[in-house]
Amino acid sequence: MTLVDLDVVEPFYTLRPIKRELEAKGMTVIAWETRDTMGLGEAGTLIRGDMLWSLHREGDIVLDIGYGVEGSKTLNLLHGVGEQKDLRINAVINASRPMTASVDDIIEHVRALGRVDALINNTHLADETDIALIREGARLVSEAAQVLNLPVEATAADEKFRGSLTEDDVLGQPIRFLTRYMPRTFW
Amino acid sequence: MADKPIQGEKRMFMTGNEVCAYAALAANVDVMYGYPITPQNEIMHYWTRLAPKHNRTFLQTEDEISAGFTTCGGVMSGKRCFTATAGPGNTLMQEAMSMAEMMRIPAVFIIQQRGGPSTATVIYSQQEVTMTCFGANGEGLRVVYSTSSHQELFDYTIKSFNVAWKYRFPTFVLGDGYQAKMRESVTIYDPEARGIQMVDTYPLVGLPGMPGVDRDPAHLRNTYNTEEELYEVVKDLVDAYEKMAPEIVEHSTMECDDADVVILCHGIVSRAAIEAVRNLRAAGVKAGFFRPITLRPFAKDALRPIAEKAKKLLIVESSQGQFAKIVTDALYGLTTPMETIFKPGLGITSDEIVNKVKAMI
Repeated sequence: MTLVDLDVVEPFYTLRPIKRELEAKGMTVIAWETRDTMGLGEAGTLIRGDMLWSLHREGDIVLDIGYGVEGSKTLNLLHGVGEQKDLRINAVINASRPMTASVDDIIEHVRALGRVDALINNTHLADETDIALIREGARLVSEAAQVLNLPVEATAADEKFRGSLTEDDVLGQPIRFLTRYMPRTFW
Repeated sequence: MADKPIQGEKRMFMTGNEVCAYAALAANVDVMYGYPITPQNEIMHYWTRLAPKHNRTFLQTEDEISAGFTTCGGVMSGKRCFTATAGPGNTLMQEAMSMAEMMRIPAVFIIQQRGGPSTATVIYSQQEVTMTCFGANGEGLRVVYSTSSHQELFDYTIKSFNVAWKYRFPTFVLGDGYQAKMRESVTIYDPEARGIQMVDTYPLVGLPGMPGVDRDPAHLRNTYNTEEELYEVVKDLVDAYEKMAPEIVEHSTMECDDADVVILCHGIVSRAAIEAVRNLRAAGVKAGFFRPITLRPFAKDALRPIAEKAKKLLIVESSQGQFAKIVTDALYGLTTPMETIFKPGLGITSDEIVNKVKAMI
């Protein structure tokens, strides 16, 4: 598994505090380390060669390309993005975000992104998330997906919901339970 | 008329910058003027996406000097206006902020502090306290709210517009890069749904009627001829500010009544301090916490009895004593021993505070 930090919207920020922790778990993490950067976030965003060629690696490759339209444009920089038949672009939707809080808003947002192959419902309110909220997110994302003619790849939910959240709660969508590492990143 | 941007209230998951943009919309702001600088850019980004849907306006200016003055100009025309900036942009805006003090222009400024001096980092600090409270030539006749959460960013952004227009002093929301960029849950609401009426705005210039005949001249001045003339004006400004201060000053405390050590901090560092107090109390250590919400005016009268009663004080801030200067000024004459954690441009954890307090007792 290779995780590539291509987040040029919030460059260098989010992964760096947990990069080594993830690597210790056996992942390959292609991301900058603080000591290798200068003018963090302000002096231009540098994409390394191993980021540009990351689609040519073996195994599963997860690209974090940041948020919004500007984030999605980053994909155009990768070598082989046009030819890579295994590439799948999922738009992760949190219906608790104001810009994707309704079916219409989700549709508008996804259409602005360019190529999207599937939606993932990741509706949450961090520690305040409950099953009703995840259910409602699944409904909104599912309705938007129908209009967009896209599949819903999955619903994502915190690991703590394993055992209480079932596929029946989320319109039969597969559930991916998440272990949250980001609360441990200081910022 | 477009629909209200927020109907009733709802719980959302947002970045701090996004919160500020929505709060300005909810506060019925007419215009944002701005020039990009990290970490406040997304206030502009979200505002420019939202504003057209709600008949609001945005003007990107050529620099922060212009952003500050156009904000003042917009306010003078009777519009509810604001700008947002950080670090070097805050430096460049000081002249306009100073003019707003002198001319009683109710402009609102959102500051997301970044590292300094100079360009430094785009990420985080509490190093814009002195500049935001007392920057430019003048007497610091400003209202400065130091927020610690997304909820406060929303609440105090709305409040800032009302305080500015009610009292006619420039008003600041002082956040930081952590608050700007991190995501957390927040309840956003239509102020009216909570019984908050937005104070009416009105033009300060271009008034109807002949000046001197139909009405007094508006006579907005920032230039005076003699020392004595200026002295009278500044004394009046200071008097008005001091009269307002007790009505708007805000602070919060936790477990101060029997505290041996009281932790003093502001803004997002308060979150680490609150956690530290909880952990210390659980360990049997009598720790308390005092946090000014308004850095200007400062809650001196509330702090002094608490500081006098405590055995020791600990000042914690992500700068090299900018907040401590305000505190020591307020506590002049008291002899309570005081220690510090100064970490300019660096975040502070609850563990660091806990360890320091344990070492103090």
